[in-house]
Amino acid sequence: MAKILVVDDAEFLRVRLTKMLGTDGYEVFQAENGATAVSMYKEMQPDVVLMDVTMPEMDGLTALKEIVGFDAKARVIMLTALGQESVVLEAVKSGARDFIVKPFEHDRVTKAITKLLA
Amino acid sequence: MNVKFLNPFVGSAYDILSLEMKETIQRGDLRLDNGAYKTDDVTVIISLVGAVDGSVFYSMSKEVAVGLASILMGEKFEALDRLAQSGIAELGNVITGQASMKLAEAGYESNISTPSLIIGKGATISTLEFPRLIVPLFTSLGSLTIHLALREGLQSNLKTSQIKIPKVEF
Amino acid sequence: MDVKLLNPFIQAAVEVLKAEVSAEVTRGDISMQKSSLTSDDITVLINLVGDVYGVVMYGLHKTTCLHLVSKIMGQEFTELNSLAQSGMAELGNVISGQATIRFSETGYTSNISTPTVLTGKGVEISTLDFPRIVVPLTTQYGVLTVHLALRVKKPGEPHTPDEFISLITAPPLKKGS
Repeated sequence: MAKILVVDDAEFLRVRLTKMLGTDGYEVFQAENGATAVSMYKEMQPDVVLMDVTMPEMDGLTALKEIVGFDAKARVIMLTALGQESVVLEAVKSGARDFIVKPFEHDRVTKAITKLLA
Repeated sequence: MNVKFLNPFVGSAYDILSLEMKETIQRGDLRLDNGAYKTDDVTVIISLVGAVDGSVFYSMSKEVAVGLASILMGEKFEALDRLAQSGIAELGNVITGQASMKLAEAGYESNISTPSLIIGKGATISTLEFPRLIVPLFTSLGSLTIHLALREGLQSNLKTSQIKIPKVEF
Repeated sequence: MDVKLLNPFIQAAVEVLKAEVSAEVTRGDISMQKSSLTSDDITVLINLVGDVYGVVMYGLHKTTCLHLVSKIMGQEFTELNSLAQSGMAELGNVISGQATIRFSETGYTSNISTPTVLTGKGVEISTLDFPRIVVPLTTQYGVLTVHLALRVKKPGEPHTPDEFISLITAPPLKKGS
């Protein structure tokens, strides 16, 4: 069973994604900010990360850079309300493998994950 | 919450209130509040967006608000009418503006939002997952409380509109 | 308030509600209010900074909010607990985020603040000298009211108005200045 790490400071989002991905058959872990995400990544090596951008302690773009820094093969999908071109470009430049702007459809997220796991 | 964000706000509030009220302001004990805030009579809400993100509230009783507004205006207000409200909001704006200048000098550039004013006791304001640092300030009129729910914002090179606020000397 | 500031929010709200809760949204009559807003059961307040600046507020009845977050989560919420508030704040965040994307496509760069959630009916929320545009959006779950108090920054205009500078250099303020 593939492991997904869901990173978002909004509790509602974490719970919602956990339920959603759980029904898809994934084992889901939660982190509430970028710093926790980085340490959890090192610990449990998730197959895919769903990463929000605006978070306390460490934002998602910084966390993305750190993770890609020690795991060039990291599969990080950004999932955020910030969809401006500058954010997308920065994320992709920094190693994000996909970028989903909220609101997201279950399908879009599932497809993005399966594509990376293929 | 990052304590380095605290001093610019306390310092600015102290300077501005001391100047306007011509007295020495006292600071009470700080505390961290994880829960929601039950509103006092008057609360000014201002957000910061940038290298520092989050919100600041300035809360007080109606009596303190009316008294402060009167001092700021140089004329006595009997009630918290629109003009008095505007004065209190502007006070919040000025303190926050000063604080954001100090934060910018320390390398944390942020934009501050326009103020909104909540009038009415007993409602609940939640900053969700952000705990609030509570700073009570005591003046001869009564107390004014600063609530800080701030965190470091986006670290990357993304720029929100970079605005240089001119340095002003007292 | 400029009408071109209105449409990105309305479009964003309609699209997000459709995507998140399969809502059929109809827009009610738009009005402009200069007075304060009296809060409904729950109000999500989000500030904007940048080329378009001000505040947007999303107000709803408790039952409408519970319906919306229940639908999004796929499980029933029976009270406006912190998880429900988080859900509503997130909805406001997503709508506002989408609106700023639309703004950036027309050349206005803005950023949104973290959301503040006010629960408790009957308190006054004042946007001071910014009049509010009020847009009621009706869905099958109830009404979501969007309040917009926004302005466009003119090029070259400092973010902080001149009054701010005069207030801190020349106490006290005189009435009428």
